[in-house]
Amino acid sequence: MRRNRRAVLWGALALALLCGCGGEQDASQRHSVALVVKSTQSEFFRSVFAGAEAAAAEYNLELSIAGPETEEDYETQNRLIAEAVRAGAEAIVFSAIDQEENAAAIDAAAQAGLQIVTIDSSVDSDQVSTYIGTDNYAAGQMAADAVLDRVSGPLYVGVVNYDVSTANGQERERGASDAFAASGRAEITAVVNTLTEAGRAQADTAALLTEHPEINVLLALNEPTSVGAAQAVKALGRSEDVFFVGFDSNVVTVDGLQDGCVDALVVQNPYAMGYLGVESAYQLLAGQGGALDETVDTSTRIVDRDNLFTLDSQKALFSFEEHLN
Amino acid sequence: MKRDISRPGPRTTTILVAMVVGVVAIILCCCIVLFLDRYRSAMVQSARTGSAQTVSQVSSTVGNYLRDMDQAMELVVRSMSEPQQSRDELLSAFLQFRPDVVAVTSYSEEGELVECWSLGREPRKEIFQNLSFDLDTARASDGPYMSTPHVETIFESYYPWVVTMTAPLEQGGEAAWVSLDLSFSNIFNHINNVGIGQRGYCFLMDRMGHIMYHPQQQLLYAGLKSEDTAALAALKDGTYVEDTVIYAVTSVEDSSWRVVGVSFVDELVNRSVREMIGISAGLAGLVLAAALLTSWILSRMLSRPLWGLASAMERFERDADHFSYRPVGGTREVRELSQSFGHMVLRIQQLMSTVRQEEINLRKTELKALQGQINPHFLYNTLDSIAWMCERGRNADAVNMVHALARLFRISISRGHELIPIAKEIEHAESYLQIQKYRYKNQFTYEFDVDPGCLDYYCNKITLQPIIENSINHGLDLLVEEGRIQVEVLQDGEDILFRVRDNGVGMSQEQVDAILEQDPEDRTGIGIRNVNDRLRIYFGAPYGLNITSELDVGTCVEIRMPKVREGEYEAK
Repeated sequence: MRRNRRAVLWGALALALLCGCGGEQDASQRHSVALVVKSTQSEFFRSVFAGAEAAAAEYNLELSIAGPETEEDYETQNRLIAEAVRAGAEAIVFSAIDQEENAAAIDAAAQAGLQIVTIDSSVDSDQVSTYIGTDNYAAGQMAADAVLDRVSGPLYVGVVNYDVSTANGQERERGASDAFAASGRAEITAVVNTLTEAGRAQADTAALLTEHPEINVLLALNEPTSVGAAQAVKALGRSEDVFFVGFDSNVVTVDGLQDGCVDALVVQNPYAMGYLGVESAYQLLAGQGGALDETVDTSTRIVDRDNLFTLDSQKALFSFEEHLN
Repeated sequence: MKRDISRPGPRTTTILVAMVVGVVAIILCCCIVLFLDRYRSAMVQSARTGSAQTVSQVSSTVGNYLRDMDQAMELVVRSMSEPQQSRDELLSAFLQFRPDVVAVTSYSEEGELVECWSLGREPRKEIFQNLSFDLDTARASDGPYMSTPHVETIFESYYPWVVTMTAPLEQGGEAAWVSLDLSFSNIFNHINNVGIGQRGYCFLMDRMGHIMYHPQQQLLYAGLKSEDTAALAALKDGTYVEDTVIYAVTSVEDSSWRVVGVSFVDELVNRSVREMIGISAGLAGLVLAAALLTSWILSRMLSRPLWGLASAMERFERDADHFSYRPVGGTREVRELSQSFGHMVLRIQQLMSTVRQEEINLRKTELKALQGQINPHFLYNTLDSIAWMCERGRNADAVNMVHALARLFRISISRGHELIPIAKEIEHAESYLQIQKYRYKNQFTYEFDVDPGCLDYYCNKITLQPIIENSINHGLDLLVEEGRIQVEVLQDGEDILFRVRDNGVGMSQEQVDAILEQDPEDRTGIGIRNVNDRLRIYFGAPYGLNITSELDVGTCVEIRMPKVREGEYEAK
């Protein structure tokens, strides 16, 4: 009994000393996160990058950013995903061009042990831990409602969409057409699926407007198509009789709001997508993944000529960090 | 009576160790808690001081910047009174020199844009909304003022975030106000790089709590972060600790701007407090270890010898006679205790042997007195008989009687020896029987059956005579027919066995027990008990008398004693 008691005391002592010495934690090594998006050119994605970088700095992550030249090139995206896996990334923050064609690459990455976070546009994979971005169906409805609130009479709607296999564009289109159908006085006259590149979008929009002169409402569903459509409306001198609603913020569309060729913009929050995407990746890697929601809805707002320069619209439209140097 | 060693209950060592360790632990805990508390408040204080210093440095940098801008503004204001030509040249040079000035604009009394100077940019022909100038604010202020951050809206396709500095111009000119749009560079980058601790930062706000510049401005704009500027605006300059955040607020001299430093107690303070806790725990462990070691040594010094002493006492208690004491070592007190115990053991053993010796002596004295008592009674009976024989003229019988009596007394006295040869004892018994036979007028016969090998051994004197006397007086006296006494002496292994048999009336078992155990009431009984006691005193418990008797059949008394040769036991 005597011996046991002593053994227990010595044990406690050793433990106390161990605790005393073991207090220092070795600095956790930097996690590596890859951000793969649809394009590196648009203002939308530059804002995403800014948010992602801010989160990477805050959580001390190694962040790599990559995207294809065009927003149709899902093959390059798949290649970039595979490269990120090879480069030892532990998580991928991904915005899918093609919700089906990208799925295999994402599954393979998940198989290799990577955590998957999607932003902006999701992918058909059950390996995705969370989706952060706009509620695209609601955003489509919002765009349609902006039209319905501001324009009276029968509406002939032309839709400028991009790749048919990109999830978010299709969701937006579905939201908009449902809202128009519900109004009873609007019909979708034509849908054109163009490339997410301003020049092609302008040409295709001009063709659409020429082919269907009855169109009095135009909807463009992302930033490059909005820029192209705005330019087409302006070039055709249809600023007055076409009510044009675009997506996202670009100097061209903001100029367009002021000179009349753009009537409203649905402005998403790309900075938050980038920031929250990388933050979620960090949480997954740090083992706090249980706290994540399946979908995180980032804010969306309508900006038109009336609220163009309110402080909130300024904040939504104009990135602050871009002008810092 | 017997002590149970494994009896549960706290021992001195346990109590001692527990007390020492407990007291040390309590003192340590108190010290550590006190120390950590002090340490933490000192750390918080130093964090506050550090934070305040950083903020005041930023404040003076911002102050310098604002004075610089004031001077620039003075230059611009002065240039406004110049003629058109030199004014354009001056401002163009100024814009070259100050790339952070996005645009210089002048406004009429009614707030109309009069002129705009900007490098390489022309304002829109129709300005949708000019955020750089607000007529109401300009009219309400009586000197230069700063706007809150806004987007530059007078250019096409160019929307940088700026703050606008507006100053009134002298009356009478074409323009009434002039504005400088300042981009967020230089000074703001400086603020960007100011860190307090690992995550702490500084930001600029105006007196109303509008954020002028924040290192994470875009996070604020994207709605991912917020600062409670309304509460901060209400605070006077100073440092404030709220939960885990330290706010340091300082106004920038001669301006409406205030610098707010935000730092986090947990990272600044808690980490070092955690380190201190680690060190303290280590120290506490060491001290506890030292306390344990000390108690252990104490227990060895104090408890072990005490345990030795206790077990020695126990052994002494169990067998006092054969206990030999070895003193135990230890502290002085224990040694003294041990020595006292040693003395006590010796003293007790002495006392015990003294008591035993005295008891034996007492018994011997008693026996000798009893031996003395038998004789006179017997003597005058015998002398009566002899006298009676002489009167009748039986001289030969009288002579035999006198001889027998003389032998009897000679052997009885035996020059004071207690042990005599068995032959002498038998001679003594025979003389006695001879005398009694005369006295009892041949009412009984007797015979001796003696193993000659026994004759040289020694025995207590007057062993057989009291037995025989008892047989005659109690067994044969009342007998009608002729009595018979048979005396046997034989060897039984290492012992000598005397056997006295008679065919008398016998005794009941109660009478037998009474003879050996109780104090007899008549004198004769003393003899038998005497013999038994004497043998036991001399030779120990296994020896002595054994009486078997049957009523109307007879009695047999066996006397057992060891084989004793001359000289042995004589000393006793």
